[in-house]
Amino acid sequence: MVPLLLRFVAGARAAGLRVSTSEVLDCLQHLERIDPLAEPQFKSVLRANFAKSRREQAHFERLYQLFFHELRQDPSIARSPELAPAIQAILQSLRPAAGADPVLQALIDFLAGDPGGLAERLPAADVGGWPPGAASSGGGSAGGRRLELAERIRMLQAQLEQALAGRRDELGWEERRDLAGHFQDRLNAVRRLLGEPLETPALPQERQRSMRRVADELGEVHFASLTPREVEAMREAIAQLVRRLKDRISRRNAARRRGVPDVKKTLRRAAAYEGVPFEVCYRSRPPRRAKIVALCDVSGSVWSAARFMLNMLYSLQDCFAQVRSFIFVAGVEEVSEIFKRHAVNPAIDKILKEADIDYNAATDYGRTLREFRQRFMDGLNRQTTLILIGDGRCNYTYPEQGILAEMRARCRRLIWLNPEAPQFWRTGDSEMRVFEAVCDEVRPCQNLNQLLDFITTLVL
Amino acid sequence: METDFVFKDVAHVHAALEASGYICSPVIATIVFLAKATHKPVLVEGPAGVGKTELAKAVARSLDRELIRLQCYEGLDEAKALYEWEYAKQLLYTQMVKEKIGDVIAGARSIAEAVDRVAAQEDAFFSERFLQPRPLLQAISSERPVVLLIDEVDKSDPEFEAFLLEVLSDFQVSIPELGTRRARHIPAVYLTSNDSRDMSDALKRRCLHLYIDYPDRDLELRIVRLRRPGLGDRLAGQLVDAVRSIRALDLKKKPAISETLDWAQALLALQVEDLSLDILRDTLNVVCKHRSDVQLVGEKIEKVCGAAPRLRK
Repeated sequence: MVPLLLRFVAGARAAGLRVSTSEVLDCLQHLERIDPLAEPQFKSVLRANFAKSRREQAHFERLYQLFFHELRQDPSIARSPELAPAIQAILQSLRPAAGADPVLQALIDFLAGDPGGLAERLPAADVGGWPPGAASSGGGSAGGRRLELAERIRMLQAQLEQALAGRRDELGWEERRDLAGHFQDRLNAVRRLLGEPLETPALPQERQRSMRRVADELGEVHFASLTPREVEAMREAIAQLVRRLKDRISRRNAARRRGVPDVKKTLRRAAAYEGVPFEVCYRSRPPRRAKIVALCDVSGSVWSAARFMLNMLYSLQDCFAQVRSFIFVAGVEEVSEIFKRHAVNPAIDKILKEADIDYNAATDYGRTLREFRQRFMDGLNRQTTLILIGDGRCNYTYPEQGILAEMRARCRRLIWLNPEAPQFWRTGDSEMRVFEAVCDEVRPCQNLNQLLDFITTLVL
Repeated sequence: METDFVFKDVAHVHAALEASGYICSPVIATIVFLAKATHKPVLVEGPAGVGKTELAKAVARSLDRELIRLQCYEGLDEAKALYEWEYAKQLLYTQMVKEKIGDVIAGARSIAEAVDRVAAQEDAFFSERFLQPRPLLQAISSERPVVLLIDEVDKSDPEFEAFLLEVLSDFQVSIPELGTRRARHIPAVYLTSNDSRDMSDALKRRCLHLYIDYPDRDLELRIVRLRRPGLGDRLAGQLVDAVRSIRALDLKKKPAISETLDWAQALLALQVEDLSLDILRDTLNVVCKHRSDVQLVGEKIEKVCGAAPRLRK
């Protein structure tokens, strides 16, 4: 039982499942207490000890299936029992040719129904770092072993085909077809055991690693130059970052809740008990939650940056008192409703399709600001943080910076995010010079890192 | 020390849980048995309403133990989970024994001596009497073995999780003023999680992991029959089929067993004998908890009935 379990653990580790030594010990201890021959029990013990989250479970199921079922299939029950003698005969005839090659012999053993040797040869044992299993099966790196095994499988397959072709007189056409199919299936099972675990992307630890990698790599890429696939990766990276940010916020709020004693208030309460401070009050101020109004330019290049900012803002929605969002090209439209009704990502796609905005119009900041003042000015108050994301290119129309100043006067602060590189800000039709004078803060926002920086300062 | 109730084997667990009103799959029974036999905590995960909390309650009932429940939430800290000094009570006692202070320090020659004498009385104020045990300390210091349910542990802060590790691995707690408390009996610990965040590997490593999914048809039917005995066989079957086909739709919140039971209760109250299309439409709000879900099921109601052909009228 112990070697079998260790082999499984080594294989599982090689396939990316994290199994600690203490878990193996626990598992062995548990196996003593149940009937290991009853498969549901055996399996649930292994699963409870080795797969400790929903994501790992699917992975475990497949490994378990491969290790305990597909490898252990008895050839006599495969397809039709009458084929069994033929299978054994063919395999016997191959043995002399295989000679002293242990790998080939193990493969033939496996086809004949004894997977023990093969399981030991699996490269998994090396990577798992379980010396007892690995040391006995000789040296060679895991990759080398894998290659060797794959090579032998190909060799064996060729030999099998030859052997089958050589028996044309003894076996009928259908029998030969069935035999070939059977060998094919079994060899494919080995291939899967070799290859498939490597290709699964869903391993949590790998995913985490790749997520950090994505965040690192994508961090410096300009929003506009992302490929559709990178956009997908970006969304996942954002989800991860947002989760981490939320963790941080909750920790900070927890620390704040404890607070220091409020002497004034405590003494005031104590008056009711002849000056004995029965109730101690703490100075805990609930963190101020900002109201956010986001005004997004959705023309061309700016939209690619705006969509990620909206994505982040709405993912962090519960950290703010309220989030309202508007989009504009030449004329402004509120899209908060769409975000209210749909999840973040579908909402962003929906906005592009449904919002009442002429996406082909020339950007006109003046008209946008005039319209905003007329329709939505009451949405701004002293708790509001106004975020404007745009390149400030007005196509030589009047920028109406006066209205922006008026808006600024009504809200707590005004932050302008510009997806253009700072050196172009004051060139051509860009009116950043006049807008800049009105804003509390102007930030470049070209890639994920800059955006994340901004969002972090916004919520913390 | 009284002898504790012990599960003999997996089948025994199965029977004991069923006797206390919880029908479980073989997997659940196995894990419960092993957790009890090896004193391991169980981390129960799964969608809301599949009976995670109920499992802990059923285990407590079947072991005839007290259930101590710690509901986790953001900002839960040691003071609320472990113990707290009863400040007000301490003060009250101080006030009441104020006059006694004269007796204690009477005859002291110097201030230092008076302080020493007062200090000798200090322990009186940091004793069991003024200690308010919270669920974790209760579970550890209980005279009789208990079942400790740490509910929705994923809602708590990461730092609380780290603190929990210490308690769960050693089953001891140190109170600076009183010393270390070791568990008299190791409690059976059940942690439930809704997967709102990943638990740390360290915590997972100490626990057995159990994922409870929506039950299969037979199991759900048996649960309904057990918990709502008044329901007719035919109706119970229709109900379970309908819930299962609703569950197959792409909903915001899929109906779990608790919703099935609620629905059964509702049908009992309405004295329905046959689940017709109209009844289904009228009572949909019991199963679907979002407006958009109700709408979606409303649109697909034919399909929901299609899955259970006996419903068609």
